[in-house]
Amino acid sequence: MRARAVPWLFLLPALLLFAVFKYLPMAEGIRLSLFQVRPFLGDIFVGLDNYTRLVTDERFQDAIGRTVLLAAGQTFGSMIIGFGLALLLEGHARSLWFVRSAVFLPVVAATAVIGEIWRLLYYPAPEGFLNTALDFFGLGPWTFLDHPDTALWSVMAVGVWKGAPYDMVLILAGLAGIDRQQYEAAAIDGTSTWQRVRYVTLPALRPVVTILLTLAAIRGMRVFTEVYVLTGGGPAGSTDVWMTRVFTTAFERNEIGIASAGSVLLFLLTFVMTVIVQVYRRAKEKV
Amino acid sequence: MKKFAALTAAGLVLAACGSGPSGAAQVQQDPSAPFEVWTRSTEATAEVYTELFADFERKTGVKVDYKPVFNDFDKQIQQRAATKDLPDVVITDTGSLGVFTQQGLVGELDRGSVAGNADIVDRAWNNAKAADGKYYAVPFSTQAMVTLIRKDWRERLGKPVPRTWAELADLASAFTTDDPDGNGQADTYGMLVPGTTDRGYLAWWASNYLWQGGGDILEQDGDKFSVAVDSDRTVESVQWLRGLFCDSKVVVPGALTLGTNDAHPFFESGKAGVYLTGPYMFGRFDKSLGKDKYEVVAAPRGPAGATVLGEGENIYLMAGSPRVADQTKLAEFLIGADAQQAGMKGDPQPVVRLPVNKNVDVEKVYDDPRWTAVADAYQDDARPFPNVPNFQPFRQQTSETLNSIFATCGTDVKGELGELAESLEQELRSQGVAR
Repeated sequence: MRARAVPWLFLLPALLLFAVFKYLPMAEGIRLSLFQVRPFLGDIFVGLDNYTRLVTDERFQDAIGRTVLLAAGQTFGSMIIGFGLALLLEGHARSLWFVRSAVFLPVVAATAVIGEIWRLLYYPAPEGFLNTALDFFGLGPWTFLDHPDTALWSVMAVGVWKGAPYDMVLILAGLAGIDRQQYEAAAIDGTSTWQRVRYVTLPALRPVVTILLTLAAIRGMRVFTEVYVLTGGGPAGSTDVWMTRVFTTAFERNEIGIASAGSVLLFLLTFVMTVIVQVYRRAKEKV
Repeated sequence: MKKFAALTAAGLVLAACGSGPSGAAQVQQDPSAPFEVWTRSTEATAEVYTELFADFERKTGVKVDYKPVFNDFDKQIQQRAATKDLPDVVITDTGSLGVFTQQGLVGELDRGSVAGNADIVDRAWNNAKAADGKYYAVPFSTQAMVTLIRKDWRERLGKPVPRTWAELADLASAFTTDDPDGNGQADTYGMLVPGTTDRGYLAWWASNYLWQGGGDILEQDGDKFSVAVDSDRTVESVQWLRGLFCDSKVVVPGALTLGTNDAHPFFESGKAGVYLTGPYMFGRFDKSLGKDKYEVVAAPRGPAGATVLGEGENIYLMAGSPRVADQTKLAEFLIGADAQQAGMKGDPQPVVRLPVNKNVDVEKVYDDPRWTAVADAYQDDARPFPNVPNFQPFRQQTSETLNSIFATCGTDVKGELGELAESLEQELRSQGVAR
């Protein structure tokens, strides 16, 4: 009996922390999603009404569409650029180490700070920083965050800028694990550089890419800070995503119940996505 | 696993326990509980409030646990409301009255029981009156919006002080194209607009022009309302406004995602020359820009007049407080003539703009013709938002539609406002005040 209790005893501090800061708030969130929440007048039970109102709300549907687009763009953009960076910066030279650290900086910088800096860079007048640079090439001025047609793409670019170095580091680790002899053997067989990337590097990176895709897709669906700091969902709602919609619903429209339903749905979606990827990976590993 | 399930179940039960209805009456009074006061402030006004509350403590012995809130005031209130632990007193816009009463965050107040209530002008009391005709707050300050203009720019270009919309548009376009600061670069703009949809700011700004053009968001008829946001006059006004954004392009770039705090620097740093805003910015602009560089004028007249928004701040005595007696005591102190004057003299920014206490003389205290202009505008041309149970959703939706119209430029204004009208009509019905 005692032997069985000991591991739980060691786990207790962590479980308690998780319970207080994760599981209880999550349970409370699920509970709130079934109520019209009025803290000082008494909550009213509405069943699944909040969910119905949410999924039939046109603005929310639009927000989901944009979230998927943004997540896909950021995920693949980060991965392609991260892969390119990794190929360029792989190696042991001291200069490469320095450049890698410099390239990694956006990942560790606070998102709110990044947002404010990019707002300045993106300043949509001709005298804005990026527009001055564009003017040098005879382009611009571009509207960036200021116009519904360009705002989402501008947000996406910031996401890629921030996400690519992170992908780069994981891909670098993957690259280091590839046996050099495979490249040499391929070279002896007379392959071109592109063929070596296509038939040696990419297949060897498959596990890394799977993990990156899962993480990035989940992160992409939950995107909030970048969008909130850069545009607050505007202009004309053109960058309104899942979480900014939930945030506005909760704290500007004061519909805590509907907002909770939105969060629960997002949780379920990311949960399902994770499970699918896990099952897929296990099946692959068994083969 | 069983233990884990038990733990989760216990958590659910715990969470469920804290959800019964509660009212102010049931709250145990506790004089040793901290007396929390929040104000929606900037750092400058927070200093003035700190002084005021120190004076209150000297006079009454009640210690105030003061927290100025610089950002996201409403969101922080909602977060505290969700935990059912509100601050005891908050001082914020009269516009919050609807949300607070609808959510039960403030209780009904007997106007007659507030000492000194007779010294408060009736018009200010109206700011604390909800749609049901009852009072839920104590008025603290009132104001009217005024137009600030870069005087030095205007004089350099030889333009008159604008008296009409046409002159205003002409001045704004001259500020944009004629290099009013003489630096040889096209880096200035006519109009500064805090056009974000956050808190519905854009509707706050635009409603002045809608009224001046004879339009409106809602129209009152007795105690019922109808939607006016798709009327011909409103459509014309919105089209005129859209011209400023899309045709003459006199509005600062990025305006449609700009909040007020981010907007002020555009005026201070010589980027924009016309700014419709509240009078509370004089102190700051006097220091950053210079008193001689800008002038304060009443709104240029539109086709239907020079109406501007006149609102203010209320003192809200929040529900669930363990210090009910001190809530009233603080409110009574703040509406007294001494505190009102001290609030007006706050440096660099006053926290009381126009006093609510009729024994305080604006001209004498400020000794500044610009404030006299504000007082006149309030007297002659100011009006508040309509007294529906909760105006916030109307303001929010209107700002979102206007934001979209000004951002896309090419859409059918009448059609978009028609769609907005439908959803406002629905909101009127759900608030039970549709005609």
